[in-house]
Amino acid sequence: MNLGALKGSVRPLFEAGSPLRRRFEELAENLLSRESSGCVVVTGPERGAGCTSVCLGLGAALASMGRRAAVVDCNLAEPQLHRMLGEPNFVGLTSALAGEKPLEHYGHEAVPGLLVVPTGPVPADPDSQIESQRFVEVVSGLRESREVVLLDAPVAAGVLDSAALSHGFDGVLLVVHATRTAKRLARETTDSLLEAGVNLIGVVLNGVPEGAERRGEGRA
Amino acid sequence: MRSTSPRSWQAERRDDLSLYETAYLLWGRRRLIGGVVAALVLVAGGVALILGPSYSAQAVVGITPREEIGEDPQTFADEVLLFVTKGDEFKREAARRAGWEGSLQEFKERLTVSSFATQEGGPGITVRFEGTDPVEAARAANAYARHFVERVDELSESRLAGGSLAADAQLRQEAVPPERGHVLRFLAYAAAAIGMGFLIGGFAALILESRTNLWRDARDAEMTLRAPVLGVIPDYSAEEPR
Repeated sequence: MNLGALKGSVRPLFEAGSPLRRRFEELAENLLSRESSGCVVVTGPERGAGCTSVCLGLGAALASMGRRAAVVDCNLAEPQLHRMLGEPNFVGLTSALAGEKPLEHYGHEAVPGLLVVPTGPVPADPDSQIESQRFVEVVSGLRESREVVLLDAPVAAGVLDSAALSHGFDGVLLVVHATRTAKRLARETTDSLLEAGVNLIGVVLNGVPEGAERRGEGRA
Repeated sequence: MRSTSPRSWQAERRDDLSLYETAYLLWGRRRLIGGVVAALVLVAGGVALILGPSYSAQAVVGITPREEIGEDPQTFADEVLLFVTKGDEFKREAARRAGWEGSLQEFKERLTVSSFATQEGGPGITVRFEGTDPVEAARAANAYARHFVERVDELSESRLAGGSLAADAQLRQEAVPPERGHVLRFLAYAAAAIGMGFLIGGFAALILESRTNLWRDARDAEMTLRAPVLGVIPDYSAEEPR
């Protein structure tokens, strides 16, 4: 894999053997131990939680563990995946929704075993694309070739507004940022997801400052 | 959702904070709580120092009617107390006998006289005096009580003021100098400050905890969200903007 071609900001996510990678591998193992880890919607209580980086890091970890994975950017309002990778967004999810070819065709492997699919051209009415049954079918179709499909989703309020995102897939992974996400908001979001009957698989605590974990382990 | 089997943690009640969770949150804010407690103890110590030492001594005087009284003993005791001690002259004389060097107003502020009536002992009064040292407190309370006894006898014998008083008074309990009153008061202030500190500090800690953007660790996240934390990702310098 040519890490040099990747943007510097995402390069740490793909570095095999790094401490960061080991954390993503732990996350991957925990996710795989859950019964509903096929198509997972990754969301956060608000912007800035780091959903896209978690998707990429988790996807890369899964791939390195020999589990074929895919990351699909379905945040049509604010596409991020192609920006993080420093790539164009000419084709992607919306292309598959409009065309006949499978979604796999509109992505590429960022690293061996990890398919990344950007949003593709964003239509004037992105919500209607996400709400369609075809969206669920197209994304779920990736399971034929991928063991785990991670959907880089809009913030949790958007997921709750979308029946497809909240109930169309196996479950939801909530990303909270250790220094940006307000606890109250995160708690309210968790409550809202559970009250809506969403299968909340678990939480990822992202962006934990160096040293904080050791202090936490010391307390425990 | 394809998987419909409810997980145990999802089915748990989420609106109440358990004792363990509360203790965990408070422990996480122990420095804040300790700081509030320390600050309040310091304030209490300062107040105790400013107020200075205070010692309380109490004397008890019994009142015996010479004739059958038609009213209840408590009313009788109230009337005798009012009649005997009315005006400042009585208190001035009591202060003089006690060797009080301060003003009459200060003497009155430190003095608490109340009437009582019991089944066994009948009517009477208690005289309590707050002094800056134990001997002074006892001396003032006894001086007032003795002067009261003398004045009752005097009024009853002479039937002055219309001869309305017919009673005897006896000093039933002399005031004795109290011990370690100041230390006890300081300890009481400190105990109250510690209690208030824990309450205020704990409340502030819970408020701050609910509003903070800082998550300590996975356990903190599990406690707050009551959901399993599958992974903890350390901060790395480049994070995407969303």
